Amino acid sequence: MNKNLQACFHCGEAVPSNCLLSVNVDGENQAVCCSGCEAVAKLILQSGQARYYQFRTENAVKPIDEDMDVEQAWQRFDQRQSLWGSELKDGHYELLLQVEGIRCAACAWLIRTQLESRKGVDQVQVDINNGFLRVNWRPELLHLSKIAAILASIGYRPHLPLAGAEAMGRQHERRGALKRVGVAGLGMMQVMMYAVALYAGEAQGISQGAERFLQWVSLIVTTPVLIYSGQIFYASAWRSIRSGRVGMDVPVALAISIAFIMSCVNFLSGHGHVYFDSVVMFIFFLSLGRYAELVIRHRNLQTGLALARLLPEWAELLTDENAERVPAIDLRSNDRVRVRAGQTFPADGYIIDGDTEVNEALLTGESRTVVKRRGEDVIAGSINQSQTVVVRVSRDPEDSTISMMGRMLLKSQTHRSRYAQLSDRYAGWFVSVVLTLAGLTAWWWMIHDASMAFPATLAVLVISCPCALSLATPAAIASASRALLERGVLLTRGTALEMMGGIDTIVFDKTGTLTTGQPTVVRTVLDPDRRGIDAAEALRIAALLEVDSSHPVAHAFVGIPVNRTDVCDVVNQAIGVQGRVGDIDYKLGNALFTKVKHDPMPGDEGALWLADQDGWIARFDLDDGLREDVASTIEGLERKGLDLVILSGDAPHAVAAIARRIGVYQWHAEQSPQMKMDYLAYLQTSGKKVLMVGDGINDALVLSVADVSMTVSGATELANSTADFILTGDSLSLVNDVFATAALTRRVIKQNLIWALAYNLLAIPFAAAGLIEPWMAAIGMSLSSLVVVLNSGRLARWNSIHSFPDTGTKSR
Amino acid sequence: MTMLYVLIPLAVLLLAVAVWALLWAIKSGQFDDLDSQGWSVVLDDDQKPPQLEEDELPSESENTDK
Repeated sequence: MNKNLQACFHCGEAVPSNCLLSVNVDGENQAVCCSGCEAVAKLILQSGQARYYQFRTENAVKPIDEDMDVEQAWQRFDQRQSLWGSELKDGHYELLLQVEGIRCAACAWLIRTQLESRKGVDQVQVDINNGFLRVNWRPELLHLSKIAAILASIGYRPHLPLAGAEAMGRQHERRGALKRVGVAGLGMMQVMMYAVALYAGEAQGISQGAERFLQWVSLIVTTPVLIYSGQIFYASAWRSIRSGRVGMDVPVALAISIAFIMSCVNFLSGHGHVYFDSVVMFIFFLSLGRYAELVIRHRNLQTGLALARLLPEWAELLTDENAERVPAIDLRSNDRVRVRAGQTFPADGYIIDGDTEVNEALLTGESRTVVKRRGEDVIAGSINQSQTVVVRVSRDPEDSTISMMGRMLLKSQTHRSRYAQLSDRYAGWFVSVVLTLAGLTAWWWMIHDASMAFPATLAVLVISCPCALSLATPAAIASASRALLERGVLLTRGTALEMMGGIDTIVFDKTGTLTTGQPTVVRTVLDPDRRGIDAAEALRIAALLEVDSSHPVAHAFVGIPVNRTDVCDVVNQAIGVQGRVGDIDYKLGNALFTKVKHDPMPGDEGALWLADQDGWIARFDLDDGLREDVASTIEGLERKGLDLVILSGDAPHAVAAIARRIGVYQWHAEQSPQMKMDYLAYLQTSGKKVLMVGDGINDALVLSVADVSMTVSGATELANSTADFILTGDSLSLVNDVFATAALTRRVIKQNLIWALAYNLLAIPFAAAGLIEPWMAAIGMSLSSLVVVLNSGRLARWNSIHSFPDTGTKSR
Repeated sequence: MTMLYVLIPLAVLLLAVAVWALLWAIKSGQFDDLDSQGWSVVLDDDQKPPQLEEDELPSESENTDK
């Protein structure tokens, strides 16, 4: 790009050369790119909040013109009490709003100060991760529409809290889990201190009274922890028993109950030992692990929100006389709505007036547009690219294709989250075995030497504390996920690393995953009869014509340096663009638009033609650019003996071309989201373990049913919300890195488990034989946990030293 | 060592206070957003935004201390 192009002070996008707008910052004029940015920046500066620009870490989102009439649009909600949020006392309400464009902490500050300075707003909380606002306000002092207008005026677009209940429920769940962890943690610190004193007493003697007293206090602290923090294990164990299964919480519940009851019995009977410390520690570590998983899951499970964001809030409903803006959720079938160019269709329906081009990436993953004529179906969430049309709604919003997709997604996700907690399954069963052993030890000693029964049983219980085992998997996964993050891979579901081992088939989406999804010019063909224009000049003219176009095709010419002032009178139309460069009018578009008569050739359906009034000048053949390192990655994966399949919503010839180019032999074209899902189900029923790699909204469903799912950089929010791994780097070779890391992780987990088991197998017989004092057992237990943690830490270091020169799973 | 009989109950009492404080803090949403509070130190200014449409004064002082 031209170096004299300036970045907009507000949104950071390039300032068009014909734009002379600027804002005054500390006496200096800073260019802005549009009147929207100007208005927002001026307001922020005038409010004395220039620091926002100093401290923000991300550029602002370019405001959309529609923001300007936000207040008017929201006025219809001012009297709807159901939308004010949940009622607090004294006429206060807590409103949950979803806001677009919150990107960093500076945004949160800006919103908070702007809103809190208004009369009627008491407190504002901003959730940066999820883009939520929680506003404590008084509707009698401030209208809802005013709040919306304030947000819009500083460049954040408010949305109706459609998924409010979902978000509230999640917050409730998260707070509850945090409380349980906190209580268990505080309790553990205390009880462990008393335990140290008791163990020390074992070793060097302790007065009877002090011992009793410490046991008393331990009991007093442990009981509430067990009841408060331990309740989830009982609840979930009870649920699984009632449904006739032995879930993994059953041994957990059993372990803490037995340990607690035995301690109480020993305490009351006045001889023997108490193990309240084991009880609280076990509860603390397990609930901490659960909480960590919950937080990660919530951060990524924004499916409902991601879906809601795909749909417009408003629809332009046509009544007999006039047009009216109504909330899109209020539409009913048979309504007539007008959808302008650039807007998103609010409901499923069919066109009753006008022709247009529609972007149906939602269904196909393709950003290329499809021509829709009168009578043809359109679906909610697809984007009207070119002309205003009138649509007759054929389905209520709840039954639209996208709502159905959402419901299926949520279903498969709840199904899947049941597997999410596999990581402490070993620990659970191990505990059962240990308890049985402890019981046997107690029984054996009772028969032979009653005085030895308690210390021996205690030693068995303490020495085989499941810490090392319950840490074996989570510690390794935590290290691995840190290592992956450094390489540009975000791990969202820990067990996915373990499951990578079983993967034998990889299914790729094409557009956006294997390819960049953005067209590039692969060939320029000049008209042999014309002279004076070479390929570079033709490309330059095309780039000039497309310079301000938002059409996907324009991306093909982005890299070509041009001077914006060389072009004028640009008219963007559905099927092409025309404009004047120098003294000549040019047209750029498909053959029909440029009126080129040509003999059709195979493969030139998607070609662009450049023409002036004398006829065509050049033809540009477009193609999706391949993502970085695709060929080498595919080769590497094939060498590992994995089955590779391409599933694409695109046309067969395009899929075949890509498949041939990168050497994948199995491919299926024209796949709808449902078909992709069915295909995956078919693979799975034939015993395959499938890794799905995708990016689009249309891939979300299939990602959610795959054994392991992965999204590439630039993937849609909805797809990311269902992914186990999110690749943030551009190169596809990260897929290989994930395989390598997963293999290493499994090795480390195996080592950890072997170590923990071997230690226990070795130590338990001694303990059962009464040869190990409880304090020795306590030290042994801590050491074995430490070994596991240190061994897991090696994963992170390995990763930074080695750069995975080969992607084999067996090396090292 | 008789001091233990005073100090430990005292510790348990403090523990109860700590638990209560923690539960209160969680309930009032202080753990919901751990990122933006740190920024408020550098960002917050004593000077309030001068432009206010309906009213001249910032709303009641209670808005910041809860």
